[in-house]
Amino acid sequence: MSNPDPISVFRTEAAELLEQIESGLLDLTRRLDDRDQIDAVFRGLHTLKGSGAMFGFDQLAAFTHHCETAFDRVRKGDVPATQELVSAVLSAQDHMRALLETPNGDHDAVSAALLEGLHRAVNGAGMPASAPQHVEAVAAAGDDAGGMREWRIRFSLPTNAMANGTNPLGLLDEMRDLGECTIVADTAKVPSLDALDPRDIHLHWLVTLKTERPRSEIEDVFIFVMDEMELDITEIAAERPVAAAAAKVEPAAPLTPVFTEREPPQAANDPKQNKTAENVRVPAERLDEMMDRVGELVIAQSRLTQLAGTAADLGLRSVSEEIERLSGELRDTMMVLRMMPVASLFSRFRRLVHDLSRETGKEIELITEGESTEVDKTVIDRLADPLVHLVRNSIDHGLEQPDERVAAGKPAKGRVALSAHQTGGEVIITIKDDGRGINRDRVRAKAEASGLIQPGATLADQDLLQLIFQPGFSTAQQVTNLSGRGVGMDVVKKTVEALRGTIDIASRPGEGSEVSLRIPLTLAIIEGLLVRVGNGSYVIPLSAVEECLEISLEDDVRSRGRSFISLRDSLVPFLRLRELFRTGTQPDPHQKVVVISTGSERVGLVVDQIIGDHQTVIKSMSKLHHDVVTFSGATILGDGSVALILDVTHLVAVGQQQEAQLRAAG
Amino acid sequence: MTAKILTVDDSASIRLTTRIALGNAGYTVTEAVDGLDGLNKLKGGEYDLVVTDLNMPNMDGLTMIRELRKLPAHTGVPVVFLTTESDGELKAQAKAAGATGWLTKPFDPESLVKIARKVLGR
Amino acid sequence: MSEAARKLDHDAIWGADEDLSVLTFNLNGETFAIEATVVQEILDLLPETHVPGSKPFVSSVINFRGKVIPLSDIRLAFGMEAVEATIDSRIIVIELLLDDETTLIGIRTDKVNEVTTLPKVASEPPPSVGMRWRADYISCLVKRDGEFIIVPNLQAIFAPQRDRVGVAAGTN
Repeated sequence: MSNPDPISVFRTEAAELLEQIESGLLDLTRRLDDRDQIDAVFRGLHTLKGSGAMFGFDQLAAFTHHCETAFDRVRKGDVPATQELVSAVLSAQDHMRALLETPNGDHDAVSAALLEGLHRAVNGAGMPASAPQHVEAVAAAGDDAGGMREWRIRFSLPTNAMANGTNPLGLLDEMRDLGECTIVADTAKVPSLDALDPRDIHLHWLVTLKTERPRSEIEDVFIFVMDEMELDITEIAAERPVAAAAAKVEPAAPLTPVFTEREPPQAANDPKQNKTAENVRVPAERLDEMMDRVGELVIAQSRLTQLAGTAADLGLRSVSEEIERLSGELRDTMMVLRMMPVASLFSRFRRLVHDLSRETGKEIELITEGESTEVDKTVIDRLADPLVHLVRNSIDHGLEQPDERVAAGKPAKGRVALSAHQTGGEVIITIKDDGRGINRDRVRAKAEASGLIQPGATLADQDLLQLIFQPGFSTAQQVTNLSGRGVGMDVVKKTVEALRGTIDIASRPGEGSEVSLRIPLTLAIIEGLLVRVGNGSYVIPLSAVEECLEISLEDDVRSRGRSFISLRDSLVPFLRLRELFRTGTQPDPHQKVVVISTGSERVGLVVDQIIGDHQTVIKSMSKLHHDVVTFSGATILGDGSVALILDVTHLVAVGQQQEAQLRAAG
Repeated sequence: MTAKILTVDDSASIRLTTRIALGNAGYTVTEAVDGLDGLNKLKGGEYDLVVTDLNMPNMDGLTMIRELRKLPAHTGVPVVFLTTESDGELKAQAKAAGATGWLTKPFDPESLVKIARKVLGR
Repeated sequence: MSEAARKLDHDAIWGADEDLSVLTFNLNGETFAIEATVVQEILDLLPETHVPGSKPFVSSVINFRGKVIPLSDIRLAFGMEAVEATIDSRIIVIELLLDDETTLIGIRTDKVNEVTTLPKVASEPPPSVGMRWRADYISCLVKRDGEFIIVPNLQAIFAPQRDRVGVAAGTN
């Protein structure tokens, strides 16, 4: 029998679903409180979304998700079913047909417009609006196969496991399939016959397994029962002196590729999720303490690695490698523990916006999205104030009064959107409003008046906007209660930079402004390049390093007074760190130039020697050194000494400044 | 004798996909369109595995499995949920109701087969 | 600093107590005393890491049990000469509350003497005139055995300064 193509079946099914949804919606326009129709529409949207995602109709799934969320809220009584909402979903439903017809077309503009209508319809109750995120399947816990290994596996099942469909004999069979097996059942916990329910399991098993298969395949055997059972898999390493890898299977971590946890489309926005997971509350300072301990462990381990590397003892090397792996894993686990969803940060803005709305007489809708994006707890703590400032700014300076908005052809209600999403090792937080945008003329006038720029100076638009981050700059003509209170954008920028982040601003007159903060996900550890300058060791964050070049003494001497190196086709300003740090030492005959960049701006740093890569546990500098902007932190090296971490943003700025001066001097 | 699997889903395309995947793997697949249909089919036959959606008209997956576990003949049938939900609370409810496993949509048909093999031991 | 303010400082450190438990140490031949309660630990000299561009009186950092803490030479705050370390040199680690944040600071000393008790009756606020040192850096002076023990005002000395100054661009 040949099967029909699932995708064409889906198209047919989707067309039917859309008809059902449409008729349900039309019924609702006559009877808004019809529970059955509300449920039916919700279910239709739900199925459409789920199956759409299944068959690669990602745009459809993402778009439908928003409508589903809206209807879920109606269903739960959070939001009343209104004519406005029903007609918004009706128009959305038409668009879904288009998304079904041309799944790869460019529908962004229409989707966005329709979703905006939907937002309005649910009346600013904070409809989450982020696109669904497809997190790829978690890869197998990566032991490579590599030869025959022997494992000791000890497990016990929940007593009711058989009633829920688990067959312990099947598990044992599966293990036998993996390799040579010795199975011992431990009957110690089996109750006496009269107390015994034959459907319950009281046995514990001890299995010795010889296999070439990786550990992940052994774990696969237990995937269904993992989070309720006790499982201990230990490698019996004949040639290894230390019993290795006694890893207890973490129930929370999806370890196998089979039982994949794909992030479902709706998960990203449901704040309820944070409550439902099982949580253990731990005081934050204990987490910090533990992080410190782990940091010390990583440092001690790197010393051990150094020692073991020079030792002839193979046993020592193997222990050292094992410890290196374990401490690495411990550190990664620790990092994850420190992550918190930004929801905790965003949630405080509802009240603020509500209050500001009353204070200013402006109608404001706050939209948040990406609340489940996780960042280091320290980032959350430190970003609170800057974000409050930015949101205040948007409301105070950005959004117009309702009558002004209406006159400009905009909805009376202004919008402020807070969103977070992760790309690579960074989280991007944006604050966007649909207000009047930044008034360039006023920025210029203000900057000229305060001497920041020459009257009539020619500036690129972006450079002009950047002026608002200058200390003491505030464009509010009258100092209002909200934003003109001395805490300016310069403080926001400094805070973000202290988190090793960057801040960008975009603004279109009449349409609004958008401020984006890019912040590294975790603050505690960076990969660094360890270099020597004079007698001191310094760390350059590897993420900023573009390349390393050698510079001969002749080149160095020749370049004196210019301080540019030519890098392929462009001239890059460079800084001699020996001079910057006043080491008073002679240059190394084999100096190196480390080219670092922030975005498009580059600067070369001349160092005496490149020592190598170094994974760095960042220690913050105390308040007493907050005046030193050249360094963003410090770290402890393998020998226990302290190395300072260079602040890339600052050094690039110094380089640019130097370039500007030299250009000005001709 | 090949193992018999009941798949319960209100989406025809999902039912088809599961049928193709499990059928190609050599299992005998019966389909049900919602929880009520599923429960009736379960009552009327012997199944080695149930793969079911959560959110369905007439009877949802959770109710179906609770009813199923009340039937003495079917207490031990493994039930795997196949759903877009991944909410921890729902999973806990499903566990409590007697679910054996959970696979989140969109899913890889290969994973479904692997899961079936694992649960059925063949 | 006004007379009243100095009196306040003086009172702040003594409070209602009649005695003050302190750790005494030497800097350039003068005896100083720090409240024993803020002292965390006394260390032998450790490898230091110079912080280019920092203020001279906190010019380096040390590794104190896995934490990077500033090492201060408070004699520079008092306008004394820096001196070479000797076999008696020690670092006193203190914990201060700066801007609501507890901060560990190492203080270089020529020699650490003893933990002792200073009686309030023997203490007096620093005189406003005739002093070699900045009066606001001193909480009080306590007379003992014919010499004055200086109780420095650590809060005033280490009060964070908000001006951020980087090292200047290289001069070419």
